[in-house]
Amino acid sequence: MLPPLVTDVQEVQIPLLSAMLLGGCAAKLTRVLRVGSMDAGLGPTALFPMHLRRPVAIAMCAAEFICGVMLLVTIGRFGRGEPANAVRLATGLLFLIATCALIELRTSHPETGCGCFGDFSRSPVSGRTLTRSALLSLAALATIGLPPVHLPRPGAEAGQLLGAAVLELLVLAVLSPELGEALVRLGYSEPCELRRLPAVRTLTALRRSSQWRRRAAVITADVPVDMWRELCWRYVVFPARVGEREAEVVFAVYLRPHRPAIHTALVDAASGGVLAWPTAPARRRGPGWAVPARLARAAAAPARSRRPAAGLVGAVRTGAGRKVPPPGNGSGPGRAAHLPFSRDL
Amino acid sequence: MLQVRREHRCCDRFAATKTTVRTSRRRLLKDAVFRPQNSGADDPAGLPAPGDLPRAITGTVLDISPHVLVIGSGASDTRITLTAGATAWRGAPLEPAGVQPGDQAVVRLHRTQRGVADRIWANIGRVTGTIIERSGDTLLVDEGTTKPRQVVTIPGRSAGRIQVRFPNLEPGYLIDVIGLRRGGTLEARIPATSQPAYPVDQLPPPAMLPGHVPATISGSATWHEPSEEPPGLLGALYPALDPEAGCAEDPVGGVAPRFMRMPYLAIGSRLVVRNDCTASTCTFPVTGCAAVARLFNDRCVTCGTSPRGRVADLTLASFVALGGELERGCFNATITIGR
Repeated sequence: MLPPLVTDVQEVQIPLLSAMLLGGCAAKLTRVLRVGSMDAGLGPTALFPMHLRRPVAIAMCAAEFICGVMLLVTIGRFGRGEPANAVRLATGLLFLIATCALIELRTSHPETGCGCFGDFSRSPVSGRTLTRSALLSLAALATIGLPPVHLPRPGAEAGQLLGAAVLELLVLAVLSPELGEALVRLGYSEPCELRRLPAVRTLTALRRSSQWRRRAAVITADVPVDMWRELCWRYVVFPARVGEREAEVVFAVYLRPHRPAIHTALVDAASGGVLAWPTAPARRRGPGWAVPARLARAAAAPARSRRPAAGLVGAVRTGAGRKVPPPGNGSGPGRAAHLPFSRDL
Repeated sequence: MLQVRREHRCCDRFAATKTTVRTSRRRLLKDAVFRPQNSGADDPAGLPAPGDLPRAITGTVLDISPHVLVIGSGASDTRITLTAGATAWRGAPLEPAGVQPGDQAVVRLHRTQRGVADRIWANIGRVTGTIIERSGDTLLVDEGTTKPRQVVTIPGRSAGRIQVRFPNLEPGYLIDVIGLRRGGTLEARIPATSQPAYPVDQLPPPAMLPGHVPATISGSATWHEPSEEPPGLLGALYPALDPEAGCAEDPVGGVAPRFMRMPYLAIGSRLVVRNDCTASTCTFPVTGCAAVARLFNDRCVTCGTSPRGRVADLTLASFVALGGELERGCFNATITIGR
């Protein structure tokens, strides 16, 4: 007769093993859905030739799913005896084979992650990963011969079982490099230098800004003559006129979707020299005011033959906050194709 | 028989004058916003003119003797003195006098003595891209939509050396080899790097980067053959152009992810490139998108081991001007962005 603590530890193994297997299977499937391919070469599948990677990956995923489900199905009275023991033996062998494969992977592909939990398992196979796999194998083998598991009675018995489960979870957490990766992802915020922000949003934010309203009087066109991005700033250049002088207004817009910092300069169109801003701007409404209204009218009456403003693409919000769709297909990278980006160089 | 696609997309991106004008203009406008007191300088872009870095001369060898090399590029001929210290490469190291008239040569001039050759590379070529098709020892390689597909032959004497570094010479895998140009074919001689284990359609995603991007990024700087670039163009292809502007050089089949997390820039942005092996530094404009270079997650081991990833794909003249050895394929580099 085994001591009660040992029995508790044995009983905890089955749901934990099942959770590990089903979690691993789900993480791999998530990766497949994201990448769109089974033969990703992550984990032990990298040991196989290309044409075998897909079937091996499918087989691994299927084995994990079947073992995970069958462990739960046979935890009670259903399938007691030989069927339950066979499932537990198969699970133990699965983890044993995985341990051997990881040892081989560590030797031949030292930079490859184990892939146990899909994208979370990118760090190279380490001693922790191997120990975890070996421990899970032992845990599965230790449950062979375990009688059907019953729900614990509330009180000391349930507490003991819960304590054993928490302890084992802690051990698994210590042995899982994936936990650190998951925590990093939860708190990850992309640096502004790497953040993707559509040019349309920059233009929208610019046209809503006080800087734009202040400078719109001298701007002579709706369409920027040049636009480019460097690090966290997007530069937008509009043609302008100051008296009889051809000029350009340069906006530097910080890449933030709402209320970005904006700097401006007025330069001579020919020489590029910095000009002083006119002291008494004309009281006319510049393109920054006129365009959204025009686009709103165009959206309200699409059958009209009037062409929309060429430089404004994508979604431009009107003053009332209504979204005005661009002409043609307004989604995807092609929507900003005729903005004056550097591809025309 | 491998069919070479010739109807590649052509563009005037490398029209040197246009690039220089746009680069200078953008620099000027940027300075007008952030540093108005400095605007209006004589050289607002701060980039080297092609004539300021005459260490690289490219052209056809018109005549060669033990002491003088005459090289022609278009209308002008250049006489270059050959000294005992000069070395040459033509598929393998050889004496400079071994270079033959008619060869396409790249000459690096001596650092201190103008008009004296330091190194000569004859008929050197490089193919970097994805293997599209294989027929025996001949490969068809896609280098991106802006370049014609390349035919690479691997002669028996080089096959062992190349296959050690490129074990998967099958469609879908990447290749990067240096060799001799023979007509429209590259005869591969040297592997330029080690082959990534992944096929090109299964690139692992880049690691996440916490905090701000560092001001300087180290990695590998490579070179590429000029396809439509004017001779002597100084510039660099950069792996992370603003996705909103797109990457004209993308491989056929869509936008490929990149490995290094590098800040987004535009054509015309300035890169300060430092050759960590020679300590030479120069500022170059970004002239295009390094679409193929960003598929590689390799290291350069020219002097020590660089961090992973290709940070710049330099034009031939830029690579040579910074002291790079073309047959080595790369140098350890550090780039500084946006100064």
